[in-house]
This record gives sequence, C-alpha cells and structure tokens, in this order.
Amino acid sequence: MNMKIIIPGDKIADGAVRMENAFVEDSKTYATVLGLLDEQSKAFIPLESVWYPREGDSLIGVVENVRNSVAMVNTNSTFRGLIIGRRGDSESEMNIGEVVSAFVREVKREADQIILILERPRKLFGGKLIFVKPSKISRVIGRQSTMLRQLETGTHCTISVGLNGVVWMKGGDVQLAIRAIDKIREEAHTSGLTERIAKMLASEAIK
Amino acid sequence: MTEKQQLIIDGKRVDGRRFDELRPIKIEAGVIKNAEGSAYLEWGDNKVLAAVYGPKEAMPKHVQDPNKAIIKCRYSMAPFSSKEEHGRSGPNRRAIEISKVTKEVFENVILLESFPGSEIDIFIEILQSDGGTRAAGITAAAVALASSGIPMKDVPFAVAVGKVGETLILDQNYIEDSGSDADMPIAMLPRTNEIVLMQMDGSLTKEQFASAVAMIAESGKEIGRIQREALEKKYKQVSA
Repeated sequence: MNMKIIIPGDKIADGAVRMENAFVEDSKTYATVLGLLDEQSKAFIPLESVWYPREGDSLIGVVENVRNSVAMVNTNSTFRGLIIGRRGDSESEMNIGEVVSAFVREVKREADQIILILERPRKLFGGKLIFVKPSKISRVIGRQSTMLRQLETGTHCTISVGLNGVVWMKGGDVQLAIRAIDKIREEAHTSGLTERIAKMLASEAIK
Repeated sequence: MTEKQQLIIDGKRVDGRRFDELRPIKIEAGVIKNAEGSAYLEWGDNKVLAAVYGPKEAMPKHVQDPNKAIIKCRYSMAPFSSKEEHGRSGPNRRAIEISKVTKEVFENVILLESFPGSEIDIFIEILQSDGGTRAAGITAAAVALASSGIPMKDVPFAVAVGKVGETLILDQNYIEDSGSDADMPIAMLPRTNEIVLMQMDGSLTKEQFASAVAMIAESGKEIGRIQREALEKKYKQVSA
C-alpha cells in the first residue's frame, strides 16, 4: 500500500469530493486533520481526530445530574448526553456518579449546544475507567473486535469500550489491561500490533 | 547610532547569518501525554512548549457561543525565561496582548462551527526567550493543534522581519530586536499565503513592506517543511 502522510491543508483530491475530515475550496478538496492518504483508492484515514457523535455510536459516561427522571451524562467530550427514563420506574433510575454505557439515538442541536439523546442505557457497577483518545479507540477494539477479545481472554477482565474514548474494565488483571491499552495507545499507527499485544499478554500474565 | 551600525558588520549579522536566513528550528510533536495535542519547539535560543486541550464544554457558561467553539489562548513567559523579569504576578500587559493576537490567528484556521458551545484551550509557555517568541509560539501551537486532531484548514506559521538602517533582516534575535528600526511579525497560512497576524513597530516604506512580506512567504516554505517533518516523524512507521 502506498500511504502518504497528510497534514491539515494538504490537497487530497483535485475535484470537489464530499468526505469526512475534509473541506472544499475552489472545487478542490483539502484535509482538515492529520491522516493517511491511500494514493490508489484516494481513501483518507485520519490519524488523529476529535470524536464527533453519530447515531448508533456506543459510549460510556458518568451521570452528572438527575432531574425528573432525566439523567445528564458526561461523555468525556463537549457533547452532553441525556438519558430519558420512565417516571416511577425504579429499575431505570439513575444516580449521580454512576457509570453507564449507552448508544446514541439522536444528535440534537439545541439552542446553545449539541445534545445527545441516549438509548439502551446499561449501568456499569464497580470497575475502573480509563481514557483513550477517541481516534485510538478503533485499535483497542480491533478488526471485528479481535483486539478486544484478546485483551479480555488475556487479562480475564470484563472490558467495555465507548467510541467517545472511555474504556471500562472490571475483574481479572486490570493493571495488565491498562498497560496493554497504554501500549496500544502509543503504537496505534503501527502494523502487527495484535501480535505484539498477544506476546505482551502471554509474557506478563499472572500464572 | 553606533550601536545600530554594529548590528551588521561586513554584510553579516551579529550571529553570522545572511539577511534572509532563519535561525535553526527544531520541533517535536506529541511531548505532553495528558494534552490532546502538544509540541516542543527550539527556534535559535527560544524554547517553547505548546499544548492544546479540548474541545470541551465552555466554562463559565456565559462565554459560550451557540454557533461555534471559542478559543482560549494563554501565552506566558516562564519566570526564568529571560534576563528581564517575567511572571511575578500573573500575565502582564504584553502577555495578554500576545495571547489575544495568537487566539485570533487560530480563529481563522480552526473549523469552529463543528463544536458549538465548546472551548479549545491553547497554552504557550516560553521556557527560554531570545526574541521572536510570539512567532515561535504560534508556530509551535500550530503543530500542537495539528497533532490534536482538531479540524483546521491549514497549519499556520509565523516569523518576523526587522529593519536595520535600510536593510531588511529576517527573524531577528533579541539583540537585533532591541536595536532595530522596525519589527514586523507576520503569521501566514502557507496554502493561500493569507496573512492572519500582522503587527509592526517602527516604519517601513511601501517597497520595504512588499519585500518583507515576500521574505516571510519564502521562509514559510522552510518553516512549513520543519512543521510537517515534526508531524510525520510521529507516524513514520506507517508509510515506511
């Protein structure tokens, strides 16, 4: 593969192409973030990006405030999440400080900011939260979640990943899982990472 | 007057550079782990650290803009950065001014409309100073922003042109800066050669102004190359 590193402002297409992480000026397309351009297929893959929520994205957040069975969730981004619960349903009731995983149902532009309406909330009890840059999350999950499954079997942790850059883990060897995710974060742009993580998990796991 | 003449001896500058020669520049991207993006820059004897955080919800709430993100920029000289005193009690008049103009540079570059109600924080810390720190700060912050993934239209650079007698000199150091007849820092977008910052002390003729802008645009190719290399170095293994 012939990959070229692109920095913001570099031209990625001669015509006006509507694509993510790019803008069009004078019917030419320019990149807005640091990324890789596949010179054959003209695909542009961002190396660094800010999470911009889309419908159906999974996320993990912390309940900040609850009012009238509506829970406000801090999503580790500039967007605030809302979980609208049923009144009088004690099971779906949220409390401040609880960690929840949920999916984005709607990205709503309110008067003063963008708000995420969340659905299918699931409370995560106990465990540990760590924060990864959202652009590195796809490597933590891996192709068809191979990396995630490997981390789970290697560390015996239950791991849940949100596309907003929050990883929740519980049970097993949490310290090893954190070290492994740190390694993924550092080497997210390199190839053969799954094998190296496999080796690391095998050598450092508690026998 | 005698002091000014000494700034150029035998057609060479005090540090032996040509009139249109930059000081050596070295940039490293991604040096601060907790920041969204960061850069460390050495520009001659200037040492600058820049870090970027955000976008996050703008606080306090009354500063939020419902249509776009706001930028908060803090330029600060470390108390030990120069022989003069800095940082005795928070930002001084000069630091507030530079913070403001730096903020305005990046307001022209970042796609602020993507993040309504948010703020993006840019911190520029001058660790060691030797003239031209606002230009060095902008150049470093541009790399920090590019490495953060915040969408932007271009990677700006900045550099100053000064005048000694009737001679234009590029990128003055502290000695030249304090003794020169004019000082004009300019920040530019290399893709379009748009000027996003221009300040001037002293005076230049129309012709001098035109050749000063041309000098800066030319030096931008070199600075831009160093900025690009710093960003590419972080990800070298992919393309190799």
